[in-house]
Formats: sequence, C-alpha cells, structure tokens
Amino acid sequence: MKKLVALVLALTLALTATAAFADIRVSNLKVEIDAALKEYAAEYSKTAGFNVEAYSVGGGADYSGSVKAELQAGNMPDIFVIEGLGGYNVWKDYIADLSDTEFAKNTSVGFVVDGKTYGFPVAVEGFGLAYNKDLLEKAGIDPATLTTTSALRAAFEKLDGMKEELGIDAVVSMATSVAGGMTWVTGNQNFSAYLSCGLPYGDMTVIDQMREGKIDRERLTAYANFVDLLFTYSDQEILLNGNYDQNVNAFATGKTVFCHQGNWIDPSLAAMKEAGTEIPAMGFIGEVMFDDQEITGLMVSAPSWYVVNSQSPNKDEAIKFLEDMVATEAGQDYMVNKAGMVPAFSNVTLEPAGDLSKDVMKAAAAGDIYSWGFGYMPDGFGQNNLGPIFELLAQKAITVDQFVDMVEAEFAQIPALLESAQ
Amino acid sequence: MGRRHRLVNALFLAPAVLSFSLVMIVPFFLGIYYSMTDFNGVRSVLTFVGFDNYKAMFSEPAFLYSFLITVEYTVINVVLVNVVAFFLSLLVTSNITGKNVLRAGFFVPNLIGGIVLGYIWQFIFNNVLTDLGKNLGIAFLEKSLIGNKDTVIWAMSFVNIWQYAGYIMMIYVAAIQGIPQNLMEAASVDGANFWTRLWKILIPMMANSFTITIFLTLTNSFKMFDLNTSLTQGGPAGMYMLKAVKTSEMLALNIYNTAITKNLWGQGQAKAIMFFIMLVVISLVQVSINKKREVEM
Amino acid sequence: MQAAGVQSRTQGSHIRHVAGKWIKVILAFLLFLLFMAPFILVVINSAKTAVEISFSPVSLPTNWGQMGTNITNTLNNPNFSYWSAFRDSTVITFFSLLVIVIASAMCAWVLVRNKTWWSTMIFMVLVASMVIPFQVVMLPLVQWLRMLGNFFGITLSGTYPGIVLCYLGFGMALSVFIFHGFIKTVPLELEEAADIDGCSRAGIFFRIVLPLLQPTAVTVLILNGIWIWNDYLLPLLVLGSNGQVQTLPLAVSMFAGSYIKQWDLLLTSTLLAMLPIIILFIFAQRYIIKGMVEGSIK
Repeated sequence: MKKLVALVLALTLALTATAAFADIRVSNLKVEIDAALKEYAAEYSKTAGFNVEAYSVGGGADYSGSVKAELQAGNMPDIFVIEGLGGYNVWKDYIADLSDTEFAKNTSVGFVVDGKTYGFPVAVEGFGLAYNKDLLEKAGIDPATLTTTSALRAAFEKLDGMKEELGIDAVVSMATSVAGGMTWVTGNQNFSAYLSCGLPYGDMTVIDQMREGKIDRERLTAYANFVDLLFTYSDQEILLNGNYDQNVNAFATGKTVFCHQGNWIDPSLAAMKEAGTEIPAMGFIGEVMFDDQEITGLMVSAPSWYVVNSQSPNKDEAIKFLEDMVATEAGQDYMVNKAGMVPAFSNVTLEPAGDLSKDVMKAAAAGDIYSWGFGYMPDGFGQNNLGPIFELLAQKAITVDQFVDMVEAEFAQIPALLESAQ
Repeated sequence: MGRRHRLVNALFLAPAVLSFSLVMIVPFFLGIYYSMTDFNGVRSVLTFVGFDNYKAMFSEPAFLYSFLITVEYTVINVVLVNVVAFFLSLLVTSNITGKNVLRAGFFVPNLIGGIVLGYIWQFIFNNVLTDLGKNLGIAFLEKSLIGNKDTVIWAMSFVNIWQYAGYIMMIYVAAIQGIPQNLMEAASVDGANFWTRLWKILIPMMANSFTITIFLTLTNSFKMFDLNTSLTQGGPAGMYMLKAVKTSEMLALNIYNTAITKNLWGQGQAKAIMFFIMLVVISLVQVSINKKREVEM
Repeated sequence: MQAAGVQSRTQGSHIRHVAGKWIKVILAFLLFLLFMAPFILVVINSAKTAVEISFSPVSLPTNWGQMGTNITNTLNNPNFSYWSAFRDSTVITFFSLLVIVIASAMCAWVLVRNKTWWSTMIFMVLVASMVIPFQVVMLPLVQWLRMLGNFFGITLSGTYPGIVLCYLGFGMALSVFIFHGFIKTVPLELEEAADIDGCSRAGIFFRIVLPLLQPTAVTVLILNGIWIWNDYLLPLLVLGSNGQVQTLPLAVSMFAGSYIKQWDLLLTSTLLAMLPIIILFIFAQRYIIKGMVEGSIK
C-alpha cells in the first residue's frame, strides 16, 4: 500500500511538471492558415523572449462554444477571435482595449465600439460568386455583364445547356447541409448579402431593422430568389450533402463554372496546384441579387478580429505579438505570402498571390465593396436558426415565399435573444 | 461499535460519498436552480425567471420535434436491437462452427466509442454507399441516406443496431446457457418443433433477461448523443410546425445545442430536467410492465 | 410400404437438415462480414490517397505502403496530436480506475457490514442516481467545478485531478452496486476470525476482503474502463476541446470537426484511435465480454 501511494504521488508530480503552459496562447479560427500561423508563432518565439503557441478550431466546429469550454476549463487563451458584436457582448469582460496600439491607427476595419478599438482585423476577406474564366470564355459569356439576377439566370440557362461541351457536372458548386457543417456559408456569409449588399459601406439600415426583429420583405424576396437561382443550378449532391472539400474541389477541377465561396479558398487551391491539379484562372462577380440595381462590388469585410484577453497576466506580451505582426517584415510576410491573406493595414504593401484574393484587393482598393453584417446577429443565429431554412430551400421543400416567411418568424426572436446575451 | 470502528467506517465511505456528492448531488440541485434562471454560461449575475424556461420549450418546434424523433428512434431501436440480438444469440448458441469468432465479431463494435464510429459511418453513408449505388445502379443508395430526412433516423438506427446488438446478444447468450439443457432435450423428444420450443420454453425462461435488455436499449437509445453529434450533427433540415428544424437532432443534442451553441444555459438546463423526468417515467413504466409479464410467464 | 414412407421421410428431413445447416453457415458468414465491413473499409481506405478514396472507396488499395504514409501524415498533422491524446487517455483511465475500484470496494464493504439507516440510505441514493442522465448535471457541473477550484485554489477544470474526480463520482453508483452484490455473498466468518486474531478493521478489509473481491474488481474495471476510454461529452465539457489535456475521442472529433475533411487522414485517425482497444480485446476477450455482460445483469 505504501508503495502504491508513493507511486501515485510520483506519477502525479511527474504529470503536473510536464503540463507546462506556453506564455501566450493564440486561438485561431481560420483553419486554412493554421500551418502558417504555427510556423510564424514558433519563429517569433525564438526572438521574442516569450513563447507563443497557436492552435486552430475548425470553422465547422462551434468556435464560441469551444472558447467557452476553455473558459470553463480555466484555460482561456490570451488571444482569441470574435466575429462581431454578438461575440463582443458575450466576451466583453474578457476583451482588452487596443485603441492605443499602432495597428489600430493603420486600419479602417478594426473592431470598434463607442470609438474604442477592441479587435485586430485578422484579414480582409471577400466573397461572391467565383467563376472559372476559361469556361465562361468558352461559353461566350462576359462576366462583366453579370450584374443582375436576370442576367445571371440567362447565363445559367445557357451554361446548363452546354454541360457536355464544357465537361461540367453542374453550373454552380455550393453547399448547404447541416450535416456537412456548411451552414456557416449559407446562414452567415451568404445571408450577409441580404443585410448589406447594394448599400453604402457600413450602412446599418437593414441590420438595425433585423435587430428589431423585422424584415424588409421586398429585399428579402429578391435575395431569396437569387439564392433559389443558385440552388436550382447547383450540383445537387454537393448542395445537399457536400462538405467544404467537395464544394471547392468540384469548382477547382472544372466540374462547375461557379462556386459560392470566398478568397479564403486561395491557399487550398494553391496546395492543390502544388499537388499537381491544374487550377483554372478565376475571378469574382458579386451577389447580384437585384434586377433593378446592378451589383459589381464584392462582399468585403474583416470577418473576424483577434481580441486580447484582458484578464490574462500576459496581456502586454499578447499585444506586442499582434503589434509585431503588422510592424515587422517577418509578420507582413507571414500574413500576405505564407497565409495568403489580404492585409487589412495601410502600412502593408505586399500583394497576395491568389486570383481571388487579387480580385478582393482590387474591389477594396476601388471602394466597390459591401460590408458583412452577420456579426450583428445573435450568437449562433445564422448557423442554427437560418442554416436549416436555407437547407430546406435547397431541398425544394419550401418555396421562396415560405423562405421569406420562415426567416421573418426567426427574426421575431432576435430582440429577446440579443437581450439575453447582454 | 467502537470509536475506531466508526472512524474507519467514515474514512472508508469518504472518497465515495464525497466524490459522488460533489459531481452528482450538488450539480443536480444546482441544475434545478439554473433551470429557473436566465443564465448564459458566462455572466455572473442571474435573474430568477421561475418556470419561464419550462414553458418556452413547449412552444419551440425544434424541441418538440426532437422529442418526437427521440421517441421514434427509441421505439425502433428497442424493437430491432432486441430482435436482431435475440436472433444472433440463437445463431451463436446453435451447433455451428466458429461460435467464438462469431460472438467476438458481433460484440466488437460495442467497444468503440460513438464519436469514432460516427465519423466512420458518415464516410460509409456519404461515400461508400453512394458509390455502390451509382456503380450497381441501386437508386435507393445513390443519394446519401443521412442526407434525407425520411431515412436519416433509420440510418442512425442501423448504426446503433450494428453497434449495440452484439452486446445485447451476449446477455441473451448468458441467459440461454443458463437454461437447463435437459429441459430443451425433453421437449425435443416430446416432438416439440423448434418454434414451439422457442415460444413455450426458451422465451418464457428468459423473461428476466428481456426486462434487462429492454431497459438497457430503452435508456441507451433515449440518451443517444455521441453518434448523433458525429454522424449527422442533427441534419438534414426539415419542416415542422412551419419552422425549420434539424430532423435528426435528438433530445440530448438539442439540449447541448441550446445551452452551448445558443448560449441559453437556463433553457438548456430546463430541457435537461424535463429529459430526466421523461426518462424516469418511461423506464418505470417499462420495468413494471416487464416485471408483471415475468410473473405471468 | 410403410417402412419406405418412413425412410423417405427421414431422408427428406435429412436433406432439409443439411441444407438448413448450410444456410445457417452462409447466413452466419454474411452477418459476420456485415459486422466487420466498417472495420474492413477503414483499413483498406487507410491505405489509399485522398483521390483514390473519392474515386473508389470500396476497391482494395493498389499500394499498401500508402498506409505507412497516411499514418505518418496523420501522426505529424498539427491538428491531431495522437501521442499526447493517447497518453492523456491512458493516464485519465488508469487513475480513474484505480480510485474507482478502491473507493467503491471500501464503500460497498462498509455499507454491507453495517446494517443501519444511513447505510441503507446511502445505498438507495446511489442506486437511484443511476437513472440520472449526464445531461442533467453536465451544465451545473462545469460551473460548480470552477467554483470549487476557485475556493480551494486548485484548477479542477481542464486538469487530470478534475476529470479523475468526475469519473470517481460518476463511476461510484454502478461500482458500489456491483461490489455490494458480491460482498453480500462473502461469509462473515473469515472477517470474524481475523478480528479475533487482532487484525485491525482496515487490515481486515485490505488483507482479507480485498483479495476476495478480485473477480468482481475485474468486472468493475472493465465496465468503467471501456466507458471512460470512449467517453466524449464529459471530457469535452471538463477539459475543453482544445485544452492542455485532450483525450483520444476529443482529438478525433477536433480533427474531423474542422471543415477541411481529408478522408484519407481522417480514416487513418479513426484506425489509430480504435487500435488500442481492439488489441486489448484480442488479448482479454473473455474477460471483457464476461465483465460487460455481468455488469449489466447484476
């Protein structure tokens, strides 16, 4: 018995000794930059005088829930990610004020509440309908003309009739399924088009209305018709059961002409190219959800922000890590070249390599952009409440009108949800 | 009883009673309190809301739907797991070669956790079966069975039967082996055929086992979570009471999503307590019915 | 005439018998194949590249060497820390089992040997608690652990001691119940004799009773062991999905939960996660089946 007790004690001690914590833990939401971020953190740790450890939580996983679990586990990261006001409200007791930092002055898309900057924009990202340049050319369609829903419909019909000639399975690659973890594409990103597409950048009209639990029926109907058009011409298997990989692969291998995704697929495409797949030339058109208004711009925003845990004992080191990412050459190289992100800071001049990222940067430079609004929805609302409605529309289980009614019914809960999150 | 004796008693009980109280008793009562608050998992000041959370769940289509499919799933599994397991137990207790290999093979899925199995079966449903369907021209399989709201519960049940039948089978095997051999032989000599022996001797003699296996399959199916979360995440979407619901989101997953994903811990906790009450009621009913039948047999 | 009829009848039943036997064998074989199919699919697809898997998930691999590559890639993948998860799962399971067996045996023994109102009450509460589903206590538990940790100045959430404490508490009911049933059948005489010989109360338990409990202890170990090793929700809530301590099911779900679903690596990761328990099963099959069945029947 004595021996046993001694053994247990020895083992316990050995275990507590090995579980040494890194000085700074960075929780990352963008799985696609995982490797680059880890490498940068490791390099940075060599000279910084403290350790930085980065780890990723998948986009399909529930990010906020996972940080919550870490808080419960007494294991809160020093730097973590919020995706908007919903996250800010949940976490505000744990978010440090970053207004005095250099990077806050060099960006126009920091996360700002009441004039104070709280979030470091991870990157500028944009989405829309990515298209395959070669296939459109072959079909004799000029992407510059695709600015209204009816123009898009005509193009889809034409392409659908040329399936065999073009060697495609379907016109669009898009995924909606709950099971495939794709509700973030529909319920969050795509739905942002309803919230802000065609409005001046940062316009809050539709968002404020949403936060009061109301819809703009005409606008939502136009949007729903546009989404329905995309679904109708989508590869049905991918639409209903596909995951991110299938969604991107079908497009990247020329099996579809369009793909509803953002420039964040550039690194995946680059990796496929490296592995020997031939990747076509690409570009973006916008969310052309109207017939009476031409849309040429893209949905561009800083979709997520790094925030610093204000209750961390290593708060200052965490801020320094972020400062250096923007200020140093190594940091800029990491953001633009290694991670393939579109930088959100005016002092960074490097240009991204991917086709889609270039289009996003072009749109951003021209100011032809619409902000993302999904961060203003209550936590988990887009994925949990709206996601299944999109899937129903994809299944053709509901009509466009029913879609509008169901979104309206979900919206009615928003004021209560927002209040309970306060 | 001396003081030392009492001290030893106390010391011996302490680890069990303390740990049990810390993780079961206290959280249980704390949970009843949380279920009447607006707790969101982070904030520290709670507002008491009485039974609001309980009322809310009954007007929430997603929860009602979860309840319905949980009942459906439970009924399917109580019946099929037991039928399959009983059949398997007859097979592996008959004079067949390789009995032990068969038993081990049927039993082994039970050792693997539901999370891991869920991913494997997701691959099978989405990739393997659709591939077979296309190549062999089986229309039924061409579309993923877990992507269709009419088949998803059956697909999940299939996996559960695969995972759980071998375990229940072993309980039946133990029961069959406990039946005196001469009883069956005597019946056989008397000219009773297989079916008569099965209905008149075997099944009545195993009544006690059925009480256990039905209880196990009932509670196991009703509480199902791991497989649900890794296989379907609740998808695909469907319509219920004019609302979009996740057609394979069973109660345990609905509770988890309410509390963790949507930040409504109070509501999640209220659902959990309702879940507990339902579980107690149905298992009490089941056990008392089975016990009565045991006596009749 | 009559004799011939009997003969043909027996012949007919003989043929039926033989045919029936073959049908049974074929049926058994097909069922066995069906039960093994998922495992076979995991193994063959773990030896294919992602492209091969997407083109033909059922064909045999062209190059088994690919399995080595997949295993190396999986083990080296930054999003899947197999070895540390394996270590954490082992440590958690080992220590939980150790404390569960000792604590529940001690408790059951005291409860059986003292027939008083409190022993009956403790036993009844334990048994009754078995119907409480984990969902009811999980949310308050994580809060409560944090409060407890703050109060005592130790971290219970996200640490080995915290999760072992949880398993100790949650494992108590069934384990005490099983030991209780067995100890009732152990005759008192042995203990009385030892008592007369001047053996202390604790000594009686550790020297006389505990060795007798060995077969039952195996049952308790197996039942709790399989549960703890495979458990998902409790570690998810107590350890967090990305904590310093991460069990194997958590590691697999984190790896698979990211939306970049690489089936070649994912299937290999499930293979790696299943391997330890399958190996254990091959060596201790008899005990495992017996333990799990007995645990449920009692």
